[in-house]
Amino acid sequence: MAKKIIHVDMDCFYAAVAVRDNPELAGKPVAVGGAKDRRGVIATCNYEARAYGVRSAMATAQALKLCPHLILAKGDMNLYKSISQQVRAIFQQYTDKIEPLSLDEAYLDVSDCQAFNGSATLIAQAIREEIYQQTQLTASAGVAPNKFIAKIASDENKPNGICVVPPDKVTDFVAALPLRKIPGVGKVTAKKLANMGLETTADVRVFSQKELIDRFGKFAYALIERSHGIDDRELCLHRDRKSIGVEHTLAQDIFSEREIQQVIEPLFDELCKRIDAKKQSKHIKKQVLKLKFNDFQSTTIEKTVSELKKSHFMALLQAVLSRQKGRSIRLVGLSVGLTDSDITEQQLSFSF
Amino acid sequence: MKFAISREDILKPLQLATGTVERRHTLPILSNVLLDINDGVLSITGTDLEVELIASVELVQASEDGRITVPAKKLFDICKGLNDSALIEFNLMDNKLVIKSGRSKYSLSTLAAKDFPNLEEWQSEINFAISQKSLRGLIDKTSFAMAVQDVRYYLNGMSLETQDQTIRCVTTDGHRLALSQTQLENESLDESQVIIPRKGVTEILRLIDDSEDNIYVSVGSNHIRLTSDNFTFTSKLVDGRFPDYRRVLPKDGDKTVTGEKDYLKQAFSRAAILSNEKFRGVRLNLISNELTITANNPEQEVAEEVVDVNYTGDDLEIGFNVAYILDVLNALQSDEVKITLGDANSSALIEDNKDDSAVYVVMPMRL
Repeated sequence: MAKKIIHVDMDCFYAAVAVRDNPELAGKPVAVGGAKDRRGVIATCNYEARAYGVRSAMATAQALKLCPHLILAKGDMNLYKSISQQVRAIFQQYTDKIEPLSLDEAYLDVSDCQAFNGSATLIAQAIREEIYQQTQLTASAGVAPNKFIAKIASDENKPNGICVVPPDKVTDFVAALPLRKIPGVGKVTAKKLANMGLETTADVRVFSQKELIDRFGKFAYALIERSHGIDDRELCLHRDRKSIGVEHTLAQDIFSEREIQQVIEPLFDELCKRIDAKKQSKHIKKQVLKLKFNDFQSTTIEKTVSELKKSHFMALLQAVLSRQKGRSIRLVGLSVGLTDSDITEQQLSFSF
Repeated sequence: MKFAISREDILKPLQLATGTVERRHTLPILSNVLLDINDGVLSITGTDLEVELIASVELVQASEDGRITVPAKKLFDICKGLNDSALIEFNLMDNKLVIKSGRSKYSLSTLAAKDFPNLEEWQSEINFAISQKSLRGLIDKTSFAMAVQDVRYYLNGMSLETQDQTIRCVTTDGHRLALSQTQLENESLDESQVIIPRKGVTEILRLIDDSEDNIYVSVGSNHIRLTSDNFTFTSKLVDGRFPDYRRVLPKDGDKTVTGEKDYLKQAFSRAAILSNEKFRGVRLNLISNELTITANNPEQEVAEEVVDVNYTGDDLEIGFNVAYILDVLNALQSDEVKITLGDANSSALIEDNKDDSAVYVVMPMRL
């Protein structure tokens, strides 16, 4: 029997919270993000702001160019977390099979839920209603036989909408979907696909599978499956943390190795604090240094390590500088990759 | 080409040569052995381009010289399947090797001998003789610690060093290191160090036995050759820099434990049963004259073993991969083992208490 998956997505979550708590903002373009003079970026914006072309992850400076009267609200992570927990508690009334994607998004598998005679549509409606009652925030939902369709569906009737794709309508739903909508197809992949004449799922379905596989490897299988509306992935109920990182967009671009070292110093302390807080210091398997240049290109370099050391980052920095090519640096990030959380045993190696 | 030989005379050299032939090869001639009759001597050659083995046997019966290659496995299976005392006649006719023995007759396909790959010419720079027993001992004590398909390709083999009277073998996979050495009387060898690839090492172990018979070793810059009365074995060397074992041998270990090897081996083997199957970690707790070994697994099962040892240092807790410890205990010869430790993050030096012909270094695990 087909599964019943609901994808619940809070409508412009951070911005909606800001408007809820400051009613005078209602109806005005509002965004949450960092200040322009600190080179911040937009985290979320409401639909009034989107009308001006403001998007999340856009530099605040650019957003203000598009929409000069944009109201910039400050984020409040703790508040978002507590609302997210509230919403999760609502999900738990219906199922334990919950895969949170972020604070404002989750998949639910309600295949085994008996409420409303097992109608996933009615469950989704009840969840949206309950979220609004408890938080005065709206959520949109997609209901479908798999994660991929559910996720796209939740976007169909946003905001405050629902879209149901029953199993017999999946084929119609993916008949000619732009490939950009498939999770995993970003700007770059979409462009590569377009260069091959592939714009929609219909194009992929009739294209040579072999050629796709040669070109994209494992990803080709996912692409072909999704183009047929197939997605067998189960919900990930226990997501292991794979990395811990800190990064800092600099108030001013820097250029020299010395300057970057000075940024790394405090960042490293911050990283150590975070790793300690999450009790992960024994699970570190690699260190990653990230730089973003003033042309917004970023680069990362990593090293497998058995122990976290500042000197490793400094060595990585030396190695990565050959990629600088005269550009100045606007962001420095440090992170560590973690071993699977069930690995508590770690073999040490010789240092030859 | 024409010759006759008894089954028992051809079987051993044929088996040796066939052993180096890879089962599945892209180049058809590499599944063949080269048969070469020259002046009453039959030489059988097998190769995989990395190693080459030539086994020779003198023919008692009259023969006609010639060279040809035939499928190794089929030839071996045919000869092996004949009666113990059978006399086998070989005759090359129209590109087929016809094999006759009693009422059995086989016709094998052939490929031209001129297409059979030869190792390039090379010069040996170091030459010495060593008893098969000594060489076998050197390799037996260390081969288990060779890396397997490591990206650091130079670890997938065995370092062989000569220095004056000393022959030294070193292997390491990055987590543990094994070193064995022996002295050759009446030799004064130049200093040299080469890496024999893994396949070469396992082949050598297959070829040599525990006898006092000498084997002659020649080492060039890219090849090593072992010559005995029955065979000539040549292996290419790994081109790379082997890590310096002197940098790995721990120097500041101040905690010395000695104990009965067999008791320790048994205790570790039992504790290993309940160690994590993937990571194989066991915890060692040392207090005065007592070693406690504990292991547990994801199913929350727990093993604890207490062993009497000689130890007077500070208390210490340290973790190890139990498989690495057992490999070492299995390679040690004498009854008493000595373990020298520093702290929980430093390597352990393990050796025979009375014999310094082999030492082992094992890095700990963080548990």
